[in-house]
Amino acid sequence: MPEEEKDKALIVFDYIYHAMRAKPVLEEAGIKANEVAPPVEYRTGCDLAVEIDATDVDAAEDILIEKGVMMLDILFMPKGSGFVPVYLTKLMKTVDYGGFVMVRCGNMKITYQKGSGKIVNISGGGCPDIPYLGMKLYGTIIGQGPKPRVLGKTICAYTLEHAYEKALEIFKKENKKGR
Amino acid sequence: MLLLVGTVPIENLPLTYGRVHYQPDKLTIGDYVLEGQYVTLGTAAMISSASATCQAIGADAPYALVMGDTGMGEGTMKILKYLTEELNNLAPSVVTLHYILPTREQFMNFVNTAHKMDKRPFLIADAGALLNAKAVKMAPQFDLFTPDPGELSFLADPDAAHPAYVQHFIFSVDQTEVPRLSKDAYDHGDAPRYMIVKAPVDHVVVEGKTVATINDPNVPTMEPIGGTGDTITGEVSALISSGMDVVEACIAACKINRTTGELVQPAPDTTIAQFIPFIGEAAKKVLGK
Repeated sequence: MPEEEKDKALIVFDYIYHAMRAKPVLEEAGIKANEVAPPVEYRTGCDLAVEIDATDVDAAEDILIEKGVMMLDILFMPKGSGFVPVYLTKLMKTVDYGGFVMVRCGNMKITYQKGSGKIVNISGGGCPDIPYLGMKLYGTIIGQGPKPRVLGKTICAYTLEHAYEKALEIFKKENKKGR
Repeated sequence: MLLLVGTVPIENLPLTYGRVHYQPDKLTIGDYVLEGQYVTLGTAAMISSASATCQAIGADAPYALVMGDTGMGEGTMKILKYLTEELNNLAPSVVTLHYILPTREQFMNFVNTAHKMDKRPFLIADAGALLNAKAVKMAPQFDLFTPDPGELSFLADPDAAHPAYVQHFIFSVDQTEVPRLSKDAYDHGDAPRYMIVKAPVDHVVVEGKTVATINDPNVPTMEPIGGTGDTITGEVSALISSGMDVVEACIAACKINRTTGELVQPAPDTTIAQFIPFIGEAAKKVLGK
């Protein structure tokens, strides 16, 4: 029997930096959370909201405050509100350039050198932290250096994290085969 | 006067306004000098490219307004506030907005101020500014966007709040998809009058219709290099501010960028810092200077 649809609540944030940290914090506390697009009136062009069951609102608010994740608002939504989820896992493409592999996720691209795993280029995105991430990640070894999710503060960084993880997965498989 | 606006990921970079001069190892904005990797990082890549193009064609040097911002938006807010308050005094003929953190009120204030000017500047948006303009439903108030295919997919999807939410992404850009998506974006008010879609085949779009495609020279290894889209935005800004017809400028900028690639012969690990020094030579070659 399908699970009965529950009333939902939507947590919206002033800063993506906090939105990106909300889901892991909530899940660690045992609260089910989905990352979705916020309603139009809250959009700026760099947005991420978190959908939870309405019954979890008090517990979610407590844990987010405790962990220093700053919320803008919590909205109670009617059943069937149908928020647009993040489609990132469907937005992957890989290009093999011979000695290099480029992984594209949505609007973000990361390129590493085969064998060494050295990150040689990052492309795409439009928020201020992307050039900053480029500066920090260029020349590091994928899987050993800083990760976009840790240093980034925007949804472009969040997207780049998905490209990074996919690139790491491919790099590990290549290395296993090469042994 | 061409005014180039955006953030640079240097935390202590103050709000800086001034005339721009690019040299391969140094970018001067007013009294501030960016050196080393900062010369070609994000907005600085676009500014360096515009300056290199202006130098090559003998146009007036551009001006820039920049501030440090690593993603929390403080630099973005101060830039937009200053720009809104000083726009009438600065009186630029072209304003290009680049890496900024999308905001609502501050961004809308700037656009509304520009539209109240007696002589409104030609408004160009790329990167964060492009995402911002679409998200707050102000794309038609701009004159030119320079999206890549990912950003075009976002513009064409009326429900998407960011490229991360686009439901049908285009990876294989062909002659059908770019024109269709450009038309969709323009028809539902999410694109300005002019667009350059930066892709393996570049498209110049006017009011939703493709008027030119540019695919020569073709240098596939330019795609992984971060910043090769930013350089087109700088090149087209320089050409438009020099007085060139907008469509001609869009076509020429695409050719200059591709010719730069041909001169550089990049590998996937080539950096944008190795690319920009060849823009001047490419501009002269394309424009017959």
